[in-house]
Amino acid sequence: MSDPYQVLGVSRSATDDDIKKAYRTLSRKYHPDSNINNPNKEQAEEKFKEVQAAYKQIMYERQHPYSSSGSSSGSGYGSSGSYGGSYGSSGGYGYRGSYDGDFWGDFFGGGFGGFGGQQRSYQNQNQDEDSIRLQAAANYLNSRHYQEALNVLNSISSHSAQWYYYSAIANSGLGNNVLALQQAQTAAQMEPSNQTYQELVQRLNSGSSWYQSRQNPYETFSSGTANWCLRLCLLNAALNLCCGGGGLCCGGYPMW
Amino acid sequence: MFGYVVINEQELKVREVGLYRSYYCGFCRELKRKYGFPGQMTLSYDMTFLIMVLSDLYDAKDTVAKTRCIAHPLGEHQTRINLYTEYAADMNLILSYYACLDDWSDEKKLHKLMLARLLQRRSQEAGINYGHKAAVIKDRLDKLHAAENSDSSDIDLVAGYFGDIMAELFAIYEDEWEEPLRHMGFYLGKFIYIMDAYDDLEKDQKSGSFNPLKKMADRPDFDDCCQQILTMMISRSCEAFELLPCVENLPILRNILYSGVWTRYNNVRARRQGLTPDASSDSARSHSPAAFSDATILGADSSLQESKHSG
Repeated sequence: MSDPYQVLGVSRSATDDDIKKAYRTLSRKYHPDSNINNPNKEQAEEKFKEVQAAYKQIMYERQHPYSSSGSSSGSGYGSSGSYGGSYGSSGGYGYRGSYDGDFWGDFFGGGFGGFGGQQRSYQNQNQDEDSIRLQAAANYLNSRHYQEALNVLNSISSHSAQWYYYSAIANSGLGNNVLALQQAQTAAQMEPSNQTYQELVQRLNSGSSWYQSRQNPYETFSSGTANWCLRLCLLNAALNLCCGGGGLCCGGYPMW
Repeated sequence: MFGYVVINEQELKVREVGLYRSYYCGFCRELKRKYGFPGQMTLSYDMTFLIMVLSDLYDAKDTVAKTRCIAHPLGEHQTRINLYTEYAADMNLILSYYACLDDWSDEKKLHKLMLARLLQRRSQEAGINYGHKAAVIKDRLDKLHAAENSDSSDIDLVAGYFGDIMAELFAIYEDEWEEPLRHMGFYLGKFIYIMDAYDDLEKDQKSGSFNPLKKMADRPDFDDCCQQILTMMISRSCEAFELLPCVENLPILRNILYSGVWTRYNNVRARRQGLTPDASSDSARSHSPAAFSDATILGADSSLQESKHSG
Protein backbone atom coordinates (compact mmCIF):
# COMPACT_ATOMS: atom_id res chain seq x y z
CA MET A 1 0.00 0.00 0.00
CA SER A 2 1.16 3.53 -0.58
CA ASP A 3 2.19 5.74 2.28
CA PRO A 4 -0.85 5.96 4.57
CA TYR A 5 0.08 9.50 5.56
CA GLN A 6 -0.01 10.52 1.93
CA VAL A 7 -3.37 8.84 1.46
CA LEU A 8 -4.79 10.96 4.27
CA GLY A 9 -2.90 14.03 3.09
CA VAL A 10 -1.11 14.65 6.37
CA SER A 11 2.49 14.84 7.42
CA ARG A 12 4.16 12.21 9.59
CA SER A 13 4.34 14.67 12.42
CA ALA A 14 0.61 15.31 12.39
CA THR A 15 -1.08 14.88 15.74
CA ASP A 16 -3.55 12.06 16.38
CA ASP A 17 -6.34 14.59 16.31
CA ASP A 18 -5.19 15.90 12.93
CA ILE A 19 -5.23 12.33 11.64
CA LYS A 20 -8.77 11.88 12.88
CA LYS A 21 -9.90 15.12 11.25
CA ALA A 22 -8.25 14.20 7.98
CA TYR A 23 -9.87 10.78 8.05
CA ARG A 24 -13.30 12.24 8.75
CA THR A 25 -13.07 14.76 5.95
CA LEU A 26 -11.99 12.17 3.42
CA SER A 27 -14.36 9.48 4.56
CA ARG A 28 -17.26 11.89 4.32
CA LYS A 29 -16.21 12.69 0.79
CA TYR A 30 -15.81 9.12 -0.40
CA HIS A 31 -18.40 7.30 1.69
CA PRO A 32 -20.72 5.20 -0.49
CA ASP A 33 -23.73 6.95 0.99
CA SER A 34 -22.42 10.31 -0.24
CA ASN A 35 -21.70 8.98 -3.70
CA ILE A 36 -24.91 7.29 -4.68
CA ASN A 37 -25.38 9.57 -7.65
CA ASN A 38 -21.74 9.75 -8.52
CA PRO A 39 -20.94 8.17 -11.90
CA ASN A 40 -17.54 7.25 -10.48
CA LYS A 41 -18.95 5.64 -7.40
CA GLU A 42 -16.81 2.54 -7.70
CA GLN A 43 -13.68 4.64 -7.61
CA ALA A 44 -15.11 6.52 -4.69
CA GLU A 45 -15.67 3.28 -2.85
CA GLU A 46 -12.14 2.12 -3.61
CA LYS A 47 -10.80 5.39 -2.33
CA PHE A 48 -12.98 5.06 0.75
CA LYS A 49 -11.51 1.69 1.56
CA GLU A 50 -8.02 3.02 0.97
CA VAL A 51 -8.65 5.90 3.33
CA GLN A 52 -10.02 3.53 5.97
CA ALA A 53 -7.03 1.22 5.67
CA ALA A 54 -4.62 4.15 5.91
CA TYR A 55 -6.32 5.38 9.05
CA LYS A 56 -6.23 2.00 10.65
CA GLN A 57 -2.56 1.51 9.83
CA ILE A 58 -1.51 4.84 11.25
CA MET A 59 -3.52 4.34 14.45
CA TYR A 60 -2.11 0.86 14.86
CA GLU A 61 1.46 2.06 14.47
CA ARG A 62 0.96 4.99 16.79
CA GLN A 63 -0.69 3.08 19.58
CA HIS A 64 2.15 0.72 20.18
CA PRO A 65 5.02 2.82 21.48
CA TYR A 66 4.99 0.88 24.77
CA SER A 67 5.33 -2.49 23.25
CA SER A 68 8.85 -3.46 22.31
CA SER A 69 7.78 -6.07 19.85
CA GLY A 70 5.41 -3.71 18.13
CA SER A 71 2.45 -5.91 18.80
CA SER A 72 -0.68 -5.00 20.67
CA SER A 73 -0.18 -3.16 23.91
CA GLY A 74 -1.89 -5.84 25.86
CA SER A 75 -5.38 -4.61 25.31
CA GLY A 76 -6.14 -7.83 23.55
CA TYR A 77 -9.58 -8.80 24.62
CA GLY A 78 -10.29 -11.59 22.28
CA SER A 79 -11.43 -11.36 18.72
CA SER A 80 -15.00 -10.36 18.26
CA GLY A 81 -15.96 -13.94 17.77
CA SER A 82 -14.75 -15.21 21.07
CA TYR A 83 -17.15 -13.35 23.24
CA GLY A 84 -20.78 -12.58 22.96
CA GLY A 85 -21.43 -15.99 24.32
CA SER A 86 -23.96 -18.28 22.83
CA TYR A 87 -25.59 -15.66 20.70
CA GLY A 88 -23.10 -15.97 17.93
CA SER A 89 -23.41 -13.88 14.86
CA SER A 90 -26.58 -11.91 14.59
CA GLY A 91 -26.39 -12.03 10.85
CA GLY A 92 -28.22 -10.11 8.19
CA TYR A 93 -27.57 -6.65 9.53
CA GLY A 94 -24.73 -5.61 7.28
CA TYR A 95 -25.60 -1.99 7.80
CA ARG A 96 -22.40 -0.45 6.62
CA GLY A 97 -22.02 -2.08 3.26
CA SER A 98 -18.34 -1.56 2.87
CA TYR A 99 -17.37 -3.09 6.16
CA ASP A 100 -14.61 -5.58 5.89
CA GLY A 101 -15.11 -8.05 8.71
CA ASP A 102 -11.44 -8.13 9.53
CA PHE A 103 -10.88 -4.40 9.69
CA TRP A 104 -9.16 -4.44 13.04
CA GLY A 105 -7.66 -7.86 12.45
CA ASP A 106 -4.99 -8.52 14.98
CA PHE A 107 -5.34 -5.17 16.68
CA PHE A 108 -7.56 -6.39 19.46
CA GLY A 109 -6.26 -9.89 19.31
CA GLY A 110 -3.50 -9.59 21.85
CA GLY A 111 -0.70 -10.32 19.42
CA PHE A 112 1.50 -11.69 22.13
CA GLY A 113 3.81 -13.30 19.66
CA GLY A 114 4.48 -16.92 18.99
CA PHE A 115 4.36 -19.46 21.72
CA GLY A 116 6.15 -22.67 21.39
CA GLY A 117 9.58 -21.17 21.59
CA GLN A 118 8.95 -21.13 25.30
CA GLN A 119 8.49 -24.83 25.16
CA ARG A 120 11.97 -25.58 23.96
CA SER A 121 13.09 -26.50 27.41
CA TYR A 122 10.27 -28.96 27.69
CA GLN A 123 11.04 -30.83 24.53
CA ASN A 124 14.14 -32.41 25.99
CA GLN A 125 12.26 -33.82 28.93
CA ASN A 126 9.58 -36.44 29.08
CA GLN A 127 6.54 -35.44 27.16
CA ASP A 128 4.35 -35.80 30.19
CA GLU A 129 0.70 -34.90 30.30
CA ASP A 130 1.24 -31.42 31.66
CA SER A 131 3.82 -30.50 29.03
CA ILE A 132 1.56 -31.67 26.24
CA ARG A 133 -1.30 -29.66 27.67
CA LEU A 134 0.86 -26.58 28.08
CA GLN A 135 1.85 -26.88 24.44
CA ALA A 136 -1.78 -27.20 23.46
CA ALA A 137 -2.56 -24.09 25.47
CA ALA A 138 0.27 -22.27 23.71
CA ASN A 139 -1.16 -23.26 20.36
CA TYR A 140 -4.55 -21.92 21.34
CA LEU A 141 -2.97 -18.66 22.46
CA ASN A 142 -1.21 -18.37 19.13
CA SER A 143 -4.51 -18.57 17.34
CA ARG A 144 -6.20 -16.33 19.92
CA HIS A 145 -8.62 -18.96 21.15
CA TYR A 146 -8.38 -17.76 24.69
CA GLN A 147 -11.27 -19.66 26.20
CA GLU A 148 -10.00 -22.94 24.82
CA ALA A 149 -6.53 -22.14 26.15
CA LEU A 150 -8.00 -21.46 29.57
CA ASN A 151 -9.97 -24.69 29.50
CA VAL A 152 -6.79 -26.67 28.84
CA LEU A 153 -4.85 -24.75 31.46
CA ASN A 154 -7.52 -25.42 34.05
CA SER A 155 -7.08 -29.14 33.45
CA ILE A 156 -3.43 -28.94 34.49
CA SER A 157 -2.97 -29.55 38.17
CA SER A 158 0.53 -28.25 38.72
CA HIS A 159 0.90 -24.51 38.38
CA SER A 160 4.37 -23.62 37.21
CA ALA A 161 5.52 -20.13 36.38
CA GLN A 162 4.82 -20.94 32.77
CA TRP A 163 1.31 -22.01 33.65
CA TYR A 164 0.74 -18.64 35.29
CA TYR A 165 2.26 -16.88 32.29
CA TYR A 166 -0.03 -18.60 29.80
CA SER A 167 -3.05 -18.16 32.06
CA ALA A 168 -2.30 -14.47 32.32
CA ILE A 169 -2.32 -14.11 28.57
CA ALA A 170 -5.48 -16.15 28.16
CA ASN A 171 -7.28 -14.15 30.81
CA SER A 172 -6.06 -10.88 29.36
CA GLY A 173 -7.47 -11.92 26.02
CA LEU A 174 -10.81 -12.68 27.61
CA GLY A 175 -10.94 -9.31 29.33
CA ASN A 176 -10.17 -10.68 32.80
CA ASN A 177 -7.45 -8.15 33.26
CA VAL A 178 -7.43 -8.06 37.07
CA LEU A 179 -6.74 -11.77 37.22
CA ALA A 180 -4.33 -11.54 34.30
CA LEU A 181 -2.14 -9.04 36.08
CA GLN A 182 -2.16 -11.09 39.29
CA GLN A 183 -1.14 -14.19 37.37
CA ALA A 184 1.57 -12.37 35.44
CA GLN A 185 2.96 -11.04 38.69
CA THR A 186 2.94 -14.54 40.15
CA ALA A 187 4.89 -15.89 37.18
CA ALA A 188 7.41 -13.07 37.47
CA GLN A 189 7.78 -13.69 41.20
CA MET A 190 8.30 -17.40 40.72
CA GLU A 191 11.04 -16.83 38.15
CA PRO A 192 12.44 -13.35 38.65
CA SER A 193 15.19 -13.86 36.12
CA ASN A 194 12.78 -14.59 33.32
CA GLN A 195 12.63 -11.48 31.14
CA THR A 196 9.53 -12.60 29.27
CA TYR A 197 7.47 -12.75 32.42
CA GLN A 198 8.70 -9.33 33.54
CA GLU A 199 7.83 -7.92 30.14
CA LEU A 200 4.32 -9.26 30.36
CA VAL A 201 3.78 -7.56 33.69
CA GLN A 202 5.10 -4.35 32.21
CA ARG A 203 2.95 -4.66 29.15
CA LEU A 204 -0.19 -5.27 31.19
CA ASN A 205 0.65 -2.16 33.19
CA SER A 206 1.67 -0.04 30.23
CA GLY A 207 -1.86 1.04 29.49
CA SER A 208 -2.12 2.56 32.94
CA SER A 209 1.13 4.53 32.51
CA TRP A 210 -0.06 5.81 29.16
CA TYR A 211 -3.40 6.80 30.64
CA GLN A 212 -1.89 8.59 33.61
CA SER A 213 0.34 10.63 31.33
CA ARG A 214 -2.78 11.85 29.57
CA GLN A 215 -4.40 12.89 32.82
CA ASN A 216 -1.83 15.59 33.52
CA PRO A 217 -3.61 18.46 31.78
CA TYR A 218 -6.60 18.04 34.06
CA GLU A 219 -6.66 19.19 37.61
CA THR A 220 -8.02 16.59 39.90
CA PHE A 221 -11.34 17.23 41.49
CA SER A 222 -10.52 17.85 45.09
CA SER A 223 -12.83 16.89 47.88
CA GLY A 224 -12.87 20.49 49.05
CA THR A 225 -14.59 21.45 45.86
CA ALA A 226 -17.11 18.69 46.33
CA ASN A 227 -18.01 20.12 49.68
CA TRP A 228 -18.53 23.51 48.14
CA CYS A 229 -20.70 22.00 45.46
CA LEU A 230 -22.72 20.07 47.99
CA ARG A 231 -23.34 23.14 50.12
CA LEU A 232 -24.41 25.27 47.18
CA CYS A 233 -26.64 22.51 45.99
CA LEU A 234 -28.33 22.11 49.34
CA LEU A 235 -28.83 25.86 49.38
CA ASN A 236 -30.35 25.62 45.97
CA ALA A 237 -32.60 22.85 47.19
CA ALA A 238 -33.84 25.00 50.00
CA LEU A 239 -34.60 27.82 47.61
CA ASN A 240 -36.02 25.67 44.89
CA LEU A 241 -39.65 25.13 45.75
CA CYS A 242 -39.97 22.27 43.37
CA CYS A 243 -37.65 20.08 45.31
CA GLY A 244 -39.43 20.51 48.59
CA GLY A 245 -41.24 17.36 49.33
CA GLY A 246 -40.98 15.19 46.30
CA GLY A 247 -40.45 11.77 47.72
CA LEU A 248 -39.19 10.56 44.40
CA CYS A 249 -36.35 13.01 44.55
CA CYS A 250 -34.67 11.86 47.68
CA GLY A 251 -36.00 8.47 48.44
CA GLY A 252 -33.16 6.42 47.20
CA TYR A 253 -32.73 6.15 43.51
CA PRO A 254 -34.16 4.08 40.73
CA MET A 255 -32.64 0.91 39.40
CA TRP A 256 -30.00 2.72 37.46
CA MET B 1 -25.05 2.19 39.36
CA PHE B 2 -24.81 5.03 36.89
CA GLY B 3 -23.70 8.57 37.55
CA TYR B 4 -19.93 8.09 37.35
CA VAL B 5 -19.30 9.00 33.73
CA VAL B 6 -19.56 12.75 34.25
CA ILE B 7 -17.78 15.91 33.23
CA ASN B 8 -15.22 17.81 35.23
CA GLU B 9 -17.02 21.05 34.69
CA GLN B 10 -14.20 23.27 35.86
CA GLU B 11 -11.95 22.07 33.09
CA LEU B 12 -14.38 22.68 30.26
CA LYS B 13 -15.18 25.84 28.35
CA VAL B 14 -18.55 27.37 29.00
CA ARG B 15 -19.61 26.59 25.45
CA GLU B 16 -18.65 22.95 25.94
CA VAL B 17 -20.62 22.66 29.16
CA GLY B 18 -23.58 24.11 27.29
CA LEU B 19 -23.20 21.55 24.52
CA TYR B 20 -23.05 18.70 27.01
CA ARG B 21 -26.15 19.98 28.79
CA SER B 22 -28.06 20.27 25.54
CA TYR B 23 -27.49 16.59 24.82
CA TYR B 24 -28.50 15.72 28.36
CA CYS B 25 -31.65 17.83 28.18
CA GLY B 26 -32.38 16.48 24.74
CA PHE B 27 -32.08 12.96 26.12
CA CYS B 28 -34.56 13.77 28.83
CA ARG B 29 -37.03 15.11 26.29
CA GLU B 30 -36.66 12.06 24.10
CA LEU B 31 -37.13 9.69 27.03
CA LYS B 32 -40.30 11.51 27.94
CA ARG B 33 -41.55 11.48 24.37
CA LYS B 34 -41.00 7.78 23.82
CA TYR B 35 -41.49 6.27 27.24
CA GLY B 36 -43.15 8.86 29.39
CA PHE B 37 -42.40 9.39 33.01
CA PRO B 38 -40.88 5.94 33.63
CA GLY B 39 -38.57 6.69 30.72
CA GLN B 40 -37.46 9.95 32.26
CA MET B 41 -36.58 8.12 35.44
CA THR B 42 -33.81 6.36 33.53
CA LEU B 43 -32.05 9.56 32.51
CA SER B 44 -28.32 9.34 33.21
CA TYR B 45 -25.08 11.14 32.47
CA ASP B 46 -23.54 7.87 31.41
CA MET B 47 -25.92 7.33 28.54
CA THR B 48 -25.50 11.01 27.64
CA PHE B 49 -21.82 10.21 27.22
CA LEU B 50 -22.70 7.36 24.90
CA ILE B 51 -24.95 9.64 22.86
CA MET B 52 -22.10 12.10 22.42
CA VAL B 53 -19.63 9.41 21.39
CA LEU B 54 -21.94 7.98 18.77
CA SER B 55 -23.16 11.38 17.60
CA ASP B 56 -19.58 12.41 16.93
CA LEU B 57 -18.44 9.16 15.39
CA TYR B 58 -21.37 8.87 13.03
CA ASP B 59 -21.74 12.55 12.24
CA ALA B 60 -25.28 12.82 13.54
CA LYS B 61 -27.51 15.68 12.56
CA ASP B 62 -28.90 17.26 15.69
CA THR B 63 -32.34 18.76 15.98
CA VAL B 64 -31.78 21.78 18.16
CA ALA B 65 -34.62 23.29 20.12
CA LYS B 66 -35.31 25.18 23.28
CA THR B 67 -37.32 23.96 26.19
CA ARG B 68 -38.52 24.93 29.58
CA CYS B 69 -38.82 22.48 32.37
CA ILE B 70 -39.40 22.38 36.08
CA ALA B 71 -35.94 21.11 36.90
CA HIS B 72 -34.36 24.14 35.26
CA PRO B 73 -36.64 27.04 36.08
CA LEU B 74 -34.07 29.70 35.30
CA GLY B 75 -35.05 30.09 31.68
CA GLU B 76 -35.07 28.14 28.49
CA HIS B 77 -32.51 25.45 27.82
CA GLN B 78 -31.21 24.15 24.57
CA THR B 79 -31.94 20.55 23.66
CA ARG B 80 -30.12 18.50 21.08
CA ILE B 81 -31.69 15.33 19.78
CA ASN B 82 -30.61 12.95 17.06
CA LEU B 83 -31.08 9.33 16.19
CA TYR B 84 -28.53 8.26 18.80
CA THR B 85 -30.58 10.00 21.44
CA GLU B 86 -33.44 7.79 20.38
CA TYR B 87 -31.18 4.75 20.42
CA ALA B 88 -30.08 5.53 23.97
CA ALA B 89 -33.70 5.92 25.04
CA ASP B 90 -34.50 2.54 23.51
CA MET B 91 -31.57 0.95 25.29
CA ASN B 92 -32.70 2.42 28.58
CA LEU B 93 -36.08 0.83 28.09
CA ILE B 94 -34.50 -2.56 27.50
CA LEU B 95 -32.17 -2.16 30.47
CA SER B 96 -34.84 -1.05 32.87
CA TYR B 97 -37.20 -3.73 31.74
CA TYR B 98 -34.79 -6.54 32.46
CA ALA B 99 -33.27 -4.95 35.53
CA CYS B 100 -36.60 -4.40 37.12
CA LEU B 101 -36.85 -6.91 39.86
CA ASP B 102 -39.45 -5.17 41.93
CA ASP B 103 -43.04 -5.68 41.24
CA TRP B 104 -44.13 -2.62 39.40
CA SER B 105 -47.07 -4.53 38.10
CA ASP B 106 -48.70 -1.77 36.10
CA GLU B 107 -45.55 -0.16 34.88
CA LYS B 108 -44.06 -3.50 34.07
CA LYS B 109 -46.99 -4.31 31.82
CA LEU B 110 -46.49 -1.00 30.12
CA HIS B 111 -42.79 -1.67 29.73
CA LYS B 112 -43.44 -5.10 28.29
CA LEU B 113 -45.69 -3.69 25.62
CA MET B 114 -43.20 -1.02 24.72
CA LEU B 115 -40.42 -3.55 24.61
CA ALA B 116 -42.29 -5.82 22.25
CA ARG B 117 -43.11 -2.94 19.97
CA LEU B 118 -39.53 -1.79 20.10
CA LEU B 119 -38.03 -5.11 19.22
CA GLN B 120 -40.40 -5.68 16.36
CA ARG B 121 -40.48 -2.33 14.69
CA ARG B 122 -37.32 -0.47 15.50
CA SER B 123 -34.85 -3.15 14.49
CA GLN B 124 -35.88 -2.90 10.89
CA GLU B 125 -36.14 0.89 10.93
CA ALA B 126 -32.83 1.58 12.51
CA GLY B 127 -30.69 -1.22 11.12
CA ILE B 128 -29.74 -2.09 14.66
CA ASN B 129 -30.01 -5.60 16.01
CA TYR B 130 -32.15 -4.78 19.02
CA GLY B 131 -33.22 -8.38 19.45
CA HIS B 132 -29.67 -9.55 19.88
CA LYS B 133 -28.82 -6.72 22.23
CA ALA B 134 -31.88 -7.37 24.37
CA ALA B 135 -30.98 -11.04 24.58
CA VAL B 136 -27.42 -10.33 25.69
CA ILE B 137 -28.59 -7.77 28.24
CA LYS B 138 -31.09 -10.18 29.71
CA ASP B 139 -28.54 -13.00 29.80
CA ARG B 140 -25.86 -10.95 31.51
CA LEU B 141 -28.23 -9.45 34.05
CA ASP B 142 -29.40 -12.94 34.98
CA LYS B 143 -25.82 -14.14 35.32
CA LEU B 144 -24.90 -11.08 37.32
CA HIS B 145 -27.71 -11.66 39.79
CA ALA B 146 -26.73 -15.29 40.15
CA ALA B 147 -23.10 -14.41 40.80
CA GLU B 148 -24.06 -11.74 43.30
CA ASN B 149 -26.38 -14.13 45.09
CA SER B 150 -23.57 -16.64 45.38
CA ASP B 151 -21.37 -13.93 46.90
CA SER B 152 -18.67 -14.18 44.25
CA SER B 153 -15.44 -12.32 44.91
CA ASP B 154 -14.28 -12.77 41.34
CA ILE B 155 -14.07 -9.15 40.30
CA ASP B 156 -13.47 -9.88 36.63
CA LEU B 157 -16.48 -12.15 36.51
CA VAL B 158 -19.11 -9.85 37.97
CA ALA B 159 -17.67 -6.64 36.53
CA GLY B 160 -17.32 -8.47 33.23
CA TYR B 161 -21.03 -9.22 33.03
CA PHE B 162 -21.79 -5.56 33.40
CA GLY B 163 -19.01 -4.81 30.94
CA ASP B 164 -20.65 -7.09 28.42
CA ILE B 165 -23.85 -5.12 28.74
CA MET B 166 -22.12 -1.82 28.17
CA ALA B 167 -20.21 -3.32 25.26
CA GLU B 168 -23.53 -4.21 23.70
CA LEU B 169 -24.79 -0.67 24.16
CA PHE B 170 -21.69 0.89 22.67
CA ALA B 171 -21.28 -1.38 19.66
CA ILE B 172 -24.35 -0.06 17.94
CA TYR B 173 -23.79 -1.37 14.41
CA GLU B 174 -21.95 -4.31 12.97
CA ASP B 175 -19.44 -2.20 11.15
CA GLU B 176 -15.80 -1.15 11.21
CA TRP B 177 -16.23 0.59 14.56
CA GLU B 178 -17.88 -2.30 16.30
CA GLU B 179 -14.70 -3.71 17.82
CA PRO B 180 -13.24 -0.51 19.25
CA LEU B 181 -16.68 0.48 20.54
CA ARG B 182 -17.16 -2.93 22.08
CA HIS B 183 -13.80 -2.76 23.82
CA MET B 184 -14.45 0.76 24.98
CA GLY B 185 -17.84 -0.16 26.37
CA PHE B 186 -16.64 -3.36 27.99
CA TYR B 187 -13.87 -1.76 30.03
CA LEU B 188 -15.92 1.31 30.81
CA GLY B 189 -18.61 -1.03 32.11
CA LYS B 190 -16.10 -2.80 34.32
CA PHE B 191 -14.87 0.56 35.54
CA ILE B 192 -18.38 1.67 36.45
CA TYR B 193 -19.20 -1.58 38.21
CA ILE B 194 -16.04 -1.58 40.30
CA MET B 195 -16.37 2.13 41.06
CA ASP B 196 -19.89 1.50 42.28
CA ALA B 197 -18.63 -1.33 44.50
CA TYR B 198 -15.89 0.91 45.89
CA ASP B 199 -18.41 3.64 46.56
CA ASP B 200 -20.88 1.31 48.29
CA LEU B 201 -18.40 -0.73 50.30
CA GLU B 202 -19.14 0.62 53.77
CA LYS B 203 -22.86 0.56 53.18
CA ASP B 204 -22.75 -3.03 51.93
CA GLN B 205 -20.53 -4.15 54.79
CA LYS B 206 -23.01 -2.76 57.27
CA SER B 207 -26.07 -4.21 55.59
CA GLY B 208 -24.45 -7.49 54.62
CA SER B 209 -25.21 -6.88 50.97
CA PHE B 210 -23.10 -8.25 48.16
CA ASN B 211 -19.91 -6.43 47.30
CA PRO B 212 -17.10 -8.04 45.30
CA LEU B 213 -14.49 -5.91 47.05
CA LYS B 214 -15.35 -7.16 50.53
CA LYS B 215 -12.59 -9.76 50.55
CA MET B 216 -9.95 -7.17 49.70
CA ALA B 217 -11.31 -4.60 52.10
CA ASP B 218 -8.98 -5.36 54.98
CA ARG B 219 -5.80 -4.81 52.99
CA PRO B 220 -3.81 -1.81 54.19
CA ASP B 221 -3.31 -0.75 50.59
CA PHE B 222 -6.97 -1.24 49.67
CA ASP B 223 -7.53 2.25 48.26
CA ASP B 224 -4.37 2.11 46.17
CA CYS B 225 -5.30 -1.32 44.98
CA CYS B 226 -8.73 -0.14 43.88
CA GLN B 227 -7.18 2.81 42.14
CA GLN B 228 -4.87 0.50 40.26
CA ILE B 229 -7.72 -1.75 39.17
CA LEU B 230 -9.88 1.18 38.16
CA THR B 231 -7.00 2.70 36.20
CA MET B 232 -6.46 -0.58 34.39
CA MET B 233 -10.08 -0.55 33.31
CA ILE B 234 -10.40 3.05 32.24
CA SER B 235 -7.07 2.99 30.43
CA ARG B 236 -8.13 0.05 28.27
CA SER B 237 -11.37 1.82 27.53
CA CYS B 238 -9.47 4.95 26.51
CA GLU B 239 -7.09 3.03 24.29
CA ALA B 240 -10.07 1.81 22.32
CA PHE B 241 -11.69 5.24 22.36
CA GLU B 242 -8.60 6.89 20.91
CA LEU B 243 -8.86 4.62 17.89
CA LEU B 244 -12.18 6.18 16.98
CA PRO B 245 -12.09 9.19 14.69
CA CYS B 246 -14.15 11.36 17.00
CA VAL B 247 -13.51 15.00 16.27
CA GLU B 248 -16.30 17.41 17.27
CA ASN B 249 -16.83 16.35 20.85
CA LEU B 250 -13.27 15.34 21.68
CA PRO B 251 -12.62 17.95 24.39
CA ILE B 252 -15.77 16.96 26.26
CA LEU B 253 -15.32 13.22 25.81
CA ARG B 254 -11.69 13.35 26.89
CA ASN B 255 -12.56 15.54 29.85
CA ILE B 256 -14.95 12.84 30.98
CA LEU B 257 -12.68 9.87 30.32
CA TYR B 258 -9.45 11.27 31.70
CA SER B 259 -10.79 13.38 34.50
CA GLY B 260 -14.51 13.41 35.14
CA VAL B 261 -14.83 9.69 35.83
CA TRP B 262 -12.62 10.09 38.90
CA THR B 263 -14.85 12.70 40.52
CA ARG B 264 -16.73 10.32 42.74
CA TYR B 265 -13.64 8.22 43.42
CA ASN B 266 -11.83 11.25 44.80
CA ASN B 267 -14.74 12.03 47.09
CA VAL B 268 -15.04 8.47 48.30
CA ARG B 269 -11.34 8.13 48.91
CA ALA B 270 -11.18 11.37 50.83
CA ARG B 271 -14.12 10.27 52.91
CA ARG B 272 -12.55 6.90 53.61
CA GLN B 273 -9.38 8.58 54.70
CA GLY B 274 -11.32 10.78 57.06
CA LEU B 275 -10.66 14.04 55.31
CA THR B 276 -14.25 15.11 54.75
CA PRO B 277 -16.43 13.40 57.31
CA ASP B 278 -19.52 15.33 56.25
CA ALA B 279 -19.62 14.83 52.55
CA SER B 280 -20.65 11.21 52.26
CA SER B 281 -21.40 10.17 48.74
CA ASP B 282 -24.83 8.95 49.81
CA SER B 283 -25.89 12.44 50.66
CA ALA B 284 -24.30 13.68 47.48
CA ARG B 285 -26.54 11.29 45.59
CA SER B 286 -29.81 12.11 47.23
CA HIS B 287 -29.42 15.86 47.50
CA SER B 288 -28.82 16.77 43.92
CA PRO B 289 -32.01 18.49 42.97
CA ALA B 290 -30.87 21.36 40.86
CA ALA B 291 -28.42 20.09 38.34
CA PHE B 292 -27.12 22.77 36.03
CA SER B 293 -28.30 25.59 38.15
CA ASP B 294 -25.66 27.50 39.99
CA ALA B 295 -23.64 24.58 41.23
CA THR B 296 -23.67 21.34 39.44
CA ILE B 297 -23.16 18.15 41.33
CA LEU B 298 -22.00 16.17 38.46
CA GLY B 299 -21.13 13.12 40.41
CA ALA B 300 -24.64 12.59 41.60
CA ASP B 301 -27.16 10.25 40.17
CA SER B 302 -28.99 12.38 37.68
CA SER B 303 -32.26 10.48 37.61
CA LEU B 304 -33.18 12.05 40.91
CA GLN B 305 -33.40 15.60 39.76
CA GLU B 306 -35.38 14.76 36.67
CA SER B 307 -37.94 12.77 38.55
CA LYS B 308 -39.97 15.83 39.35
CA HIS B 309 -40.96 16.37 35.77
CA SER B 310 -44.62 16.52 35.32
CA GLY B 311 -44.89 18.47 32.10
